[in-house]
Amino acid sequence: MLTTAEAEQRTGTVLEVKNLKAYYQMNYFGVQREVRAVDDITLSIKRNEVYGIAGESSSGKSSLIKTIAGAINPPLRVVDGSVKFDFDGNFVDVYGEPGSMNSARWRHLSYIMQGSMNVLNPVRRVKRSFEDFAFEHMGLSKAEFWPRVRQHLEKLGLNPNVLEAYPHQLSGGMRQRLTIALATVCEPEFIIADEPTTALDVLVQQDVLGLIKDVQERMGSSIIFVTHDMTVHAAIADRIGIVYAGRLVEEGPSIDIFRRPQHPYTAHLISSLPRLGDPKRRQALAGKPPNLADPPPACRFHPRCPLAIDKCKTDNPPLVARETGRVACWRAGEVEVS
Amino acid sequence: MFKVLRDLLRYNREFLIGFILTASLVIYASLHFFSPYDNTAIYLLPPDMPPSPDYWLGTTSRGQDIFWQISAALWNTMTFGITVTVISRMLALTMGMISGYIGGRGDRVLMTINDTLIALPNLPILLLVYFVMREQMNWAILAVVTACLSWNYDARIIRSVALSLRQREFTRHAVYAGMSMPQVLVRQHMPYVMPIVFFTAMNNLIFAIGIEVTLAVLGFIDLNRPTIGGMINWANQHQAIVAGVWWWIAFPIIAIVLLFLGLFLLAISINEYIDPRSRLARMGG
Repeated sequence: MLTTAEAEQRTGTVLEVKNLKAYYQMNYFGVQREVRAVDDITLSIKRNEVYGIAGESSSGKSSLIKTIAGAINPPLRVVDGSVKFDFDGNFVDVYGEPGSMNSARWRHLSYIMQGSMNVLNPVRRVKRSFEDFAFEHMGLSKAEFWPRVRQHLEKLGLNPNVLEAYPHQLSGGMRQRLTIALATVCEPEFIIADEPTTALDVLVQQDVLGLIKDVQERMGSSIIFVTHDMTVHAAIADRIGIVYAGRLVEEGPSIDIFRRPQHPYTAHLISSLPRLGDPKRRQALAGKPPNLADPPPACRFHPRCPLAIDKCKTDNPPLVARETGRVACWRAGEVEVS
Repeated sequence: MFKVLRDLLRYNREFLIGFILTASLVIYASLHFFSPYDNTAIYLLPPDMPPSPDYWLGTTSRGQDIFWQISAALWNTMTFGITVTVISRMLALTMGMISGYIGGRGDRVLMTINDTLIALPNLPILLLVYFVMREQMNWAILAVVTACLSWNYDARIIRSVALSLRQREFTRHAVYAGMSMPQVLVRQHMPYVMPIVFFTAMNNLIFAIGIEVTLAVLGFIDLNRPTIGGMINWANQHQAIVAGVWWWIAFPIIAIVLLFLGLFLLAISINEYIDPRSRLARMGG
């Protein structure tokens, strides 16, 4: 456990993703297909930072986060690039030598998976799940382990007696909170969360988000999370990255993303959010996200972009630094939020 | 476990009857340890005595007491059945879980072996093994061979469950948390699969006892060791029916029918108990 002052001192880079390319490579009946779900993504996350990844369905958010977590299975393969963690001088190259992840799992790095309220085995008591997932990584004896788990649950406002329950005896929100407790019991430096609040109603969602934020602040850890729900981003993210068709199109501090989006896609995403007292009908963006097996050339957003010019169809805009963030658009900053 | 048993006895009449039948037959069978006679010795008593206060179920033409013969025979037959069941359940469990979990080529190889064994007819193979190994043949070898022929269907059932378990979040989570394959299978998947193992065990037990009785009636087994089928075989050899010694053939048949009935009732009531909807309907919510 860190004091607030100590937590603030941790400011170095903890995650470094460089030119990451991960493709679904399939070969069915002699037909080779390649789906470029993660295409040349570079990003870095500092200590004590909450980084949100936003984007619509099938834009490659989950593939990106799975690749970062090192939890990919064929046909998804990393084609190029690297994912490197730095846990206080403890370097882990996820796609370096095989097995380099093993020392970091759970102890330094935990992963809250999509549909995470189902990670508790339905036929085993909750405490058995804690034992299975966390015990080996904590390096404690049984006599020290259980008081630690109970203490941790109490800190999160959960009754330690739930350890004796079976998952079906608990509500969805309770299970979700337990999952977060399970992911944070080893006090990892880095937490990866894939849709941590999907399938919860807004009240429970609020609670769970508060819990995540609370844990993060107390432990001084970093979080990268994915969700399509912009309100969740607004609630907890320090920085937001917008993913479109497998590429990072804009990145910046949350406040700037919401107030002054630079990329036309981000602008549409933001303007689709309902606002209090605004009776105007929200305009849907025409078209649908491109097929990643056969994406449009150059800028992948140009077929749907109201600001598209000829250059967008021939040259891919690089992700360049602006005042506060980065944006990949030839006409960055020209868009107005309605 | 005790609570489950109590609920079943209270709410499920089939289970109650099956339980009483099977339990009393097990008690009867275990009485043979206190038998006043040697089970394998012959011509100890006057032959062909009808049931009477002295010899409760009569005696055989070979001078044996049928009451104590059936007691020992039931014990041996059940030992055989349980041995087959335990071995074949272990085979089915390991093959099914591993096959479903690893998937891909390994799965195809294991399931090809499995399907080949399904396609082979059991009885001719057992007879073949008997003729090839005539000199060394004893009940233990027969049990192993029978077990090797009877795990296949259940391995497929377990595999189908394992296929689904493999895709669940808790499996992916366990793998991500660094659990090895044996750990995942034993700690995460086995508790899920055990109910299937239990209820298929009952069917398998019935099958194994049936096989043993069939082989013994045909004489393809060590006939000096008392078994239900062996008794029927000897009765036929001595033309018990023609000679009017009906008790020699009737009582073993009644014993085995009661055992089958008991096990069958247990099997169907356990099936019903495992399906939560029929269980709730029976218990009234």
